[in-house]
Amino acid sequence: MIELKQLSKRYQMGSVTVTALHEISLEIGEGEFVVVLGPSGSGKSTLLNMISALDTPTAGQVIIRGHDITRANRQQKFSFRRDTISFIFQTFNLFPSLTALENVQFAVDMKGNGARPDSAMQVLQAVGLGERANHFPHELSGGEQQRVAIARALATGNPILLADEPTGELDFQTGVQILQLLESQAHSGKTVLVVTHNREISRIADRVIELSSGQIVSDGAPQEGKAPIAELHW
Amino acid sequence: MNLGFWLRWSWRDLKARWLQVVAIALIIALGTGVFAGLGGQETWRVESLDQSYERLNHYDLQVDFADGTYVDEDTLSAALSAIEGLNDAEPRLVAATLVDASTDKEDILVSGRVVGVDVTEGGPYVDEIHIEAGDGRSFTSEDAGQRVVVVEKKFADYYDLQPGDSIRVSGDVSLDYVGTGTFAEYFQIIPEDGTFSGEASLAILFMPLDTLQDLTGHTGLVNDVVITVQDGASRAAVATAVEETLAATFPEVGFEVTMPEDDPVHHILYSDARNDQDTWNLIGALFLIGASFGAFNLAGRMVESQRRQIGIGMALGVPRGWLAFRPLLVGAQIAILGTIMGLVIGWGLSLLFANLFKTLLPLPYWGTSLYLPGYIRAALLGLALPLVATMIPVWRAVRVQPIDAIKSGHLVAKGGGLSWLLNYLPIPGRSFTQMPFRNILRSPWRTLLTVLGIAMAILLMTAFIGFMDSFIATLDQGEEAYLYQGRDRLLVQLDTFYPQGSERVTDIVQMTDQSGERMFGETEPALVLGGKLSQGTESIDTLLELHDMQNPIWVPRLIDGELRGDMPGIVISEKAAEDLGVKVGDSITLEHPLREGEMAFRLVETEIPLVGIHDNPIRGLSYMDMAGAAAMGLGDMTNMVVVTPDNGSDATSIKRALLVQPGVASVQAIGEFADALEEALEIFVAILAIIQGIVLLMAFLIAFNSTSINVDERSREFATMFAFGLPLRTVTRMQVVENLLIGILGTALGVVLGWLALNYLLVQRVEDQLEDFKFIITLSPDTLAISVALGVLVVALTPLLSIRKMSRMDIPSTLRVME
Ligand SMILES: Nc1ncnc2c1ncn2[C@@H]1O[C@H](COP(=O)(O)OP(=O)(O)O)[C@@H](O)[C@H]1O
Ligand SMILES: [Mg+2]
Repeated sequence: MIELKQLSKRYQMGSVTVTALHEISLEIGEGEFVVVLGPSGSGKSTLLNMISALDTPTAGQVIIRGHDITRANRQQKFSFRRDTISFIFQTFNLFPSLTALENVQFAVDMKGNGARPDSAMQVLQAVGLGERANHFPHELSGGEQQRVAIARALATGNPILLADEPTGELDFQTGVQILQLLESQAHSGKTVLVVTHNREISRIADRVIELSSGQIVSDGAPQEGKAPIAELHW
Repeated sequence: MNLGFWLRWSWRDLKARWLQVVAIALIIALGTGVFAGLGGQETWRVESLDQSYERLNHYDLQVDFADGTYVDEDTLSAALSAIEGLNDAEPRLVAATLVDASTDKEDILVSGRVVGVDVTEGGPYVDEIHIEAGDGRSFTSEDAGQRVVVVEKKFADYYDLQPGDSIRVSGDVSLDYVGTGTFAEYFQIIPEDGTFSGEASLAILFMPLDTLQDLTGHTGLVNDVVITVQDGASRAAVATAVEETLAATFPEVGFEVTMPEDDPVHHILYSDARNDQDTWNLIGALFLIGASFGAFNLAGRMVESQRRQIGIGMALGVPRGWLAFRPLLVGAQIAILGTIMGLVIGWGLSLLFANLFKTLLPLPYWGTSLYLPGYIRAALLGLALPLVATMIPVWRAVRVQPIDAIKSGHLVAKGGGLSWLLNYLPIPGRSFTQMPFRNILRSPWRTLLTVLGIAMAILLMTAFIGFMDSFIATLDQGEEAYLYQGRDRLLVQLDTFYPQGSERVTDIVQMTDQSGERMFGETEPALVLGGKLSQGTESIDTLLELHDMQNPIWVPRLIDGELRGDMPGIVISEKAAEDLGVKVGDSITLEHPLREGEMAFRLVETEIPLVGIHDNPIRGLSYMDMAGAAAMGLGDMTNMVVVTPDNGSDATSIKRALLVQPGVASVQAIGEFADALEEALEIFVAILAIIQGIVLLMAFLIAFNSTSINVDERSREFATMFAFGLPLRTVTRMQVVENLLIGILGTALGVVLGWLALNYLLVQRVEDQLEDFKFIITLSPDTLAISVALGVLVVALTPLLSIRKMSRMDIPSTLRVME
């Protein structure tokens, strides 16, 4: 599903070169639930940006479903994102002028697949926000906003779900609910990548890829062992 | 914390938004520029007029003799020389003529007026002729009795004539063209019916008095005298003395002693300067209002974007004054930049207008120096506006509790606003089709400010187009009134009154071409007289034409009453009826010349029934049946023959033939009206073009500002859309739709307000300067549609300018950025 080969990203800031990623190679299969762990500045976000073709690598390849997206032109990248990737951001990034339902509908419309009018509502109901459908983002709590954001990501129906610090702005209880929601998506066949700097959170995953200074330092089951979400301590 | 620190910080703010700051400064600059550049126009125009009249030693008094009256030059001079306080009196002879100034390239055959001035002692000394360097020479005493001519400058410029070119006048007299000059009474050319300036169709010529007397057969006679009063003497007293003296010397002669203020040219030049100033002030004010909306919009958004930082500053205990300092500094930067650019624009505008005036209104003196108070006033306004516009949102921002400010943008417009309206107004289509509507509704105030700014620009454009359209519509109707019948007729003015059956008249009527064919189809002897209509205290000048209403080439078309050949009565214009407060069936007082002798007319008042209202918007035109002539001592007389061409003759060949015909003063094809009309609009069109350019620029800047602020503010939204794979094309389309909506709203509002402003402007002007017209206030749908489309298009397409910026957006960084 996702294959990275010798992927590097360097930023040139005047005379200083910042290496955000250094020769990363890995493979992620369909339906996997993976947590990317690492301290702030270790290159996690950069990694996601490479996978989603928001940014171009300095060296190496990103191969998604057999296609090398680093070679794609601008337009191909746009349609690749439209058809393959769904995003969940730390700061939600909902459209403030659209209601919860319309934010979700936006994703349905994006695909232009003539989706049934109720499908946005169904997705919103699935994240437990059917009641708040007509509320604007600023009328919702952080957790609710993030659930809307998840519903928006799910409504695209895209196979890869990327979440960059989705719990960063949320309290423990709410964060747990969000993670559960994301995990359940992997069970229903989507490939889910969740980025966090919180080691405890990473324990919910079967597979944890740990980054440090742009390099993979470990890849496998969580060091402290997988734990059910209910047993996590933040 | 030192000043340098804050200055550096706000300098960074400025750099981050330099394009918006420059754009907003430019909007302010346009406002202050119009204010500065046009604010002093009245001052320099009036000053130039004063100076020009002064330099040419303009008369203090003029004696206007009744039409057709001539008096003995020596008797007149002798009588006037005895008057105490009178400085100088120069008798003149003014005669109508045909002028043939044809060149190799074109036929120039127009009506003209020759002013015979006394040159025997190196004059004229009252109302001198001004000749610019390179325009030939003026008269000398040697010219007395010689066939030399000085041609009025506007006519010469219009046809590109130079001294040495050929000039022929009635009687087929060839003149030696020695100079091109300006003359106070003809600073502007206003034909007798007082309608429009007509330098293309009316040639003014100056000639030595005795030459003209010779040519016209009026040896020793004059019909005009201009007088200056000694320093310190009372003009009114001298006027009375002149009146008494003339009444005693020429008991049978009708005359009027007038002052420069009574001269329509003088009146119009001064009142134009005044009225134009009112218009400029209004325009300047509207520009400034538009600019204020723009400045307010930008400043408000800038402060909003800093609100969180202000909150943090408050939390850190920074005094409010310091916190306000940073955004206020940006306001100050806008103010200074805007004012400097505004003064430059103002300077440019005043140069532009100065040049326009110098070309279109050649005066001996044009002082177009900077009018300092106007600039100072504009500069102060330009400085104050952006500061106030920044102050208000800053004040609101620093007043809130720090916690509210820090909390994700407390007052930031982010919610629904009026979005709920959309529940009642379902817009079909996908969510991103709806987004533009939502964006407009979610921050109604912001939308309103942008809409108002654009509306101000469109308002100006609409008002100006309407002004122009109304002018054209009015003159078109005038043309239609003249031309609905007898389109090809020519008016042959005779040099005096002749019996209808006299040789002079029959010679004209039966004129033939080289092959012996008659040149005219139909002919009609008519009369044309100057007079005055009055009712109670109201009184207006009129040009009265007497026609045979039964057997017509042309008769006035009536909108009320009926034409009856058998009933003596007068037909006047709608405007005249309104101004005099009369209706058909009433009777009005007509002051008209009454023939007393061969060349003497007395002015008398007669009560005449009003039998009809004609459709010509020109107030001064009145008509009567020829039957009324007897009551004026003019039974069976004529001074104008109306003719229609026949047997292949046309206006040019007829004019050419009439040039050599004795007794003919001038010939005018009725269609020449249209040419003069275009001339009258010349200055209008030029000004309109300038204003339209400025207005479009302003609409563009306001739209550009609002769009570019939108792009900044919504960059996260756009980044999110891009992350989801929404193409740049779609995102831009959303922006275009949003702007289109704003453009439509702003334009619609602007058109409505513009229509109101137009009515206000015209009603105001009609009161004073355009009193001679029945104005048709109108906006032509075509021009309106074009400018509206232009306005909407400019606003709608500005987002295209942001495409580059958006396509270069660093999506990951934009997504990551915390507010
Ligand atoms: N646009 C950029 N320009 C320069 N350096 C950057 C940019 N984006 C990220 N970096 C650097 O790359 C490294 C990795 O950043 P990032 O992937 O955002 O880390 P994480 O998400 O793990 O906190 C950091 O050192 C960061 O400073
Ligand atoms: Mg990160």
